[in-house]
Amino acid sequence: MDGPAPAGPFGARLPRKEDPRLLRGEARFLDDIEVPPGTLHAVFLRSPHAHARILGIDASGVRDIPGALVLTAADLPQLPPLRPDLPLPGFAVTERPLLCRDLVRFVGDCVAIVLAEDAYAAEDAAELVAVDYEPLPAIVTLEQALAEGAGSVHREAPDNVLFRNQVTTEGFDAAFAAAPHVFRETFVGSRVATVSLEPRGCLARHDPGLDETVLWSSTQVPHLVRNMLCEVLGLADTAVRVIAPDVGGGFGVKASVYPEEILAIAAARLLGRPVKWAGDRQDDFLSSSHARDMRFGVEMAMDADGVLAAIRIDVLANAGAYGGIPFGSSIEAGGGPRTFPGPYRFRHYAFRTRAVATHTTPSGPYRGVAAPIAFMAFEGMMDRAAAALGLTREEIRRRNLLDTADFPFVNASGIRYDIASHHRTLTKALALSEWEDFVLRRDADPDKIRGIGIACVTEQTGQGSTRYRARGLLRIPGIEAARLKMEPSGRATLAVSQTTQGQGHLTTFAQMAAEHLGIPPAHITVLEGDTAVSPFGSGTFASRSVVAAGGAVITAAEVIAKKMKRIAGHLLEADEADIVLRDGRAEVVGTGLSVTIEEVARTAYAMRPKGVPPGESFGLDTTEYWDQPFSSVSAAVHVAEVSIEKATGRVKVERYSIVHDCGRVVNPMIVDGQVHGAVVQGLGPALMERLVHDEHGQLLTTTLLDYTLPTALDVPDIAMEHIETPALDTKGGVKGMAEGGTIGAIPVLLSAINDALRPHGAWIHAIPVRAEQLLRIIRTQPGTPEG
Amino acid sequence: MSTVEITVTVNGSSRTRRVPDRLLLADFLRHELRLTGTHVGCGHGVCGACTVLVDGATMRSCLMLAVQADGASITTVEGLAPPGGLHPVQQAFHELHALQCGFCTPGFLASTIELLRENPDPSETEIREALHGNICRCTGYVNIVKAVRRAAELMRAG
Ligand code: FES
Ligand code: FES
Repeated sequence: MDGPAPAGPFGARLPRKEDPRLLRGEARFLDDIEVPPGTLHAVFLRSPHAHARILGIDASGVRDIPGALVLTAADLPQLPPLRPDLPLPGFAVTERPLLCRDLVRFVGDCVAIVLAEDAYAAEDAAELVAVDYEPLPAIVTLEQALAEGAGSVHREAPDNVLFRNQVTTEGFDAAFAAAPHVFRETFVGSRVATVSLEPRGCLARHDPGLDETVLWSSTQVPHLVRNMLCEVLGLADTAVRVIAPDVGGGFGVKASVYPEEILAIAAARLLGRPVKWAGDRQDDFLSSSHARDMRFGVEMAMDADGVLAAIRIDVLANAGAYGGIPFGSSIEAGGGPRTFPGPYRFRHYAFRTRAVATHTTPSGPYRGVAAPIAFMAFEGMMDRAAAALGLTREEIRRRNLLDTADFPFVNASGIRYDIASHHRTLTKALALSEWEDFVLRRDADPDKIRGIGIACVTEQTGQGSTRYRARGLLRIPGIEAARLKMEPSGRATLAVSQTTQGQGHLTTFAQMAAEHLGIPPAHITVLEGDTAVSPFGSGTFASRSVVAAGGAVITAAEVIAKKMKRIAGHLLEADEADIVLRDGRAEVVGTGLSVTIEEVARTAYAMRPKGVPPGESFGLDTTEYWDQPFSSVSAAVHVAEVSIEKATGRVKVERYSIVHDCGRVVNPMIVDGQVHGAVVQGLGPALMERLVHDEHGQLLTTTLLDYTLPTALDVPDIAMEHIETPALDTKGGVKGMAEGGTIGAIPVLLSAINDALRPHGAWIHAIPVRAEQLLRIIRTQPGTPEG
Repeated sequence: MSTVEITVTVNGSSRTRRVPDRLLLADFLRHELRLTGTHVGCGHGVCGACTVLVDGATMRSCLMLAVQADGASITTVEGLAPPGGLHPVQQAFHELHALQCGFCTPGFLASTIELLRENPDPSETEIREALHGNICRCTGYVNIVKAVRRAAELMRAG
């Protein structure tokens, strides 16, 4: 860490307020909530076919299960289909039925809701529903979807393109044509599942007497869920309350609104009984959004010195059968080109991008969205270019990284970078990783080949309303809010328009507010995840919390602090400008005169002999909204060392170093933890994770036996240092940071593997990198020992 | 559906219940006894979130029937420390930020307690080997490994 240790709560390694109840098993995740009497337990009957016509549904068999019942599309005729994308240029407007009536479009599409007195009986009943399907040919891959005569997943998108965009900057063609070197390659991502350890689930209750509808849902976006329930079911937002209880991991997969949430409410209202659905792991693999089935074709033009002249990319994203809500079908295809330019200085940029429909599970946001694959492509090309031009990998990056003098900088995709320290970050990362000494480690073990990789990445965080408007995502407000209410005791509650799935909001936001209020973080109770308690906002996704909601938290704390100073000035007969709030007191600087914060708060609530200053309102209570005007862009340099066992092709990550810059750090312990977790969510897709479909579109990986996740044995220790370049465009100088670990891990591991393979003359450009593939290269391409 | 009467000692108190013969131990603990600290992440024996101590040994409660636990003594996360307190392993997880969402945590605590009973001073490799049957999606394991070492120190000291 640069600089002296922080004096106040902002910047402190404060252990988390959320821990004790989680550690004692006292948390309440969705499936832990005691259900109201009369609750029906739901199982969603899912299509076993990727593409089929429904000829008939016979639910008469469930009569054998006492109390069981089945709802199909025919029972809920008033339910309109979802329309994920809006009629804007580049988008095809398609429909997603909540329950399929005539046609299913992926293995996992919902056909019926089966309900019974307990979850075991509901599973039994689901077995007894007979659906007559006529299977139809399925489109599974990007190639199939784009082939001539492929057929269409949606009538409204005959060519299967759900979203397209194409941009060429002025002067591109000339710059590209003039460059002496052009490097070309196509990079292929692996289709992955998020696997939040807690699967999705929800509990719906309708109270007709109160006309109140409540949904508890394992979601990252309670307000957006509420908005969709109102939009689809025609309910008044004042009568709908959505609560995210403790949530066991999100990472983006729970940032979408899913059919099950809407269907649970529809069923509860229809039947007059609470309805609970606790999804299992198979539900999760089949129905929770998949991610990063993407490819990037890159053409990188450089001058003779290895300086970038112009880049053209062609991006394809397999969007699956439907766009999601609220991110639509453009989430990955739009995000790919937007994030691609990274920390580099180049102006001539051309891209074409398409989101393509197939008969597979819908794709959606997952940590970093398209960026890990975008950087795998960019950094992969930088490595190739360096090799071709005879430059070291660090040198080619130095020649292209943005420098201090470049800022503020608007990159080729129109994103503003306020400030960064890319060169310093790189230098520090090379030192931390002992990059120069790697030659001494390379041949340390005769049974292994070793490589070292580097990746310089950026992470676009904290998007506000302008970004979401520009992306055509009108269902995402982009704003956040905080209600800060100091009670007469001098303690405060801080209700934030977000939810936390492990990111430590209850601690971080308390630290951010405490800095201004002069009270310890322990005296600030953060409340989140309940639309009846939290002010309106967008939710937790896209590394927005510390910037977007943090902006609201700081603004609210400033407003209350100002008012406290006015009251304290009145009590102490001093100028408010001379008052500081610290250590539980309001004091007049340099005089020794002070009152307690509690005294100030009691005065504000008319509980003391002396009143508030003339003209001042009572109370210490405010709600502030924040709209982040520009995204804030964090940066990191990752260095990884891998070994490949010659006999087996097994890859081991030997060392891993990161130098990270996300502006001012609120709680370094939490930030480090976020980076660690994010790195492992990149290590998995790079080395092992992959969702596999057969040619009929059947998902073959629906258990954790088939879908391999990293364990403690696969993960190295991670060395990390921070550079804190305070952001200029945000409140508090902070930047978001939850995704950068993943964005860096995939390119750096591929870079290290390719470095190990250099003597064998092979370049890998697809993930996951498999042992058998490496073994084949090592055996069949002995290559030349590196001179 | 046939039911069976079972008696299980859970966190020190004896509980007798008539349960369906197919009821999973995880569901028995969670829904019959309302000890919801034991979590189900996969239901098929891979993730380790449902791990509890049965007669002192780690078991996946999603792979075991409640009737198989008849006569056994079970410790769940709720029984690791006296009310309001923290077991040294819990304390170390807190100090070193070894949990984020906390969904995997009860399983890791059980596996750690078993490890440290058998090996009070494990090396980093031994820790990683002992925990490789527990999946965490949040922490990247980095701080979990550190916390286990810290817990070993705390327990040896105390
Ligand atoms: S829930 Fe038992 S191992 Fe995953
Ligand atoms: S802390 Fe979330 S899965 Fe481990």
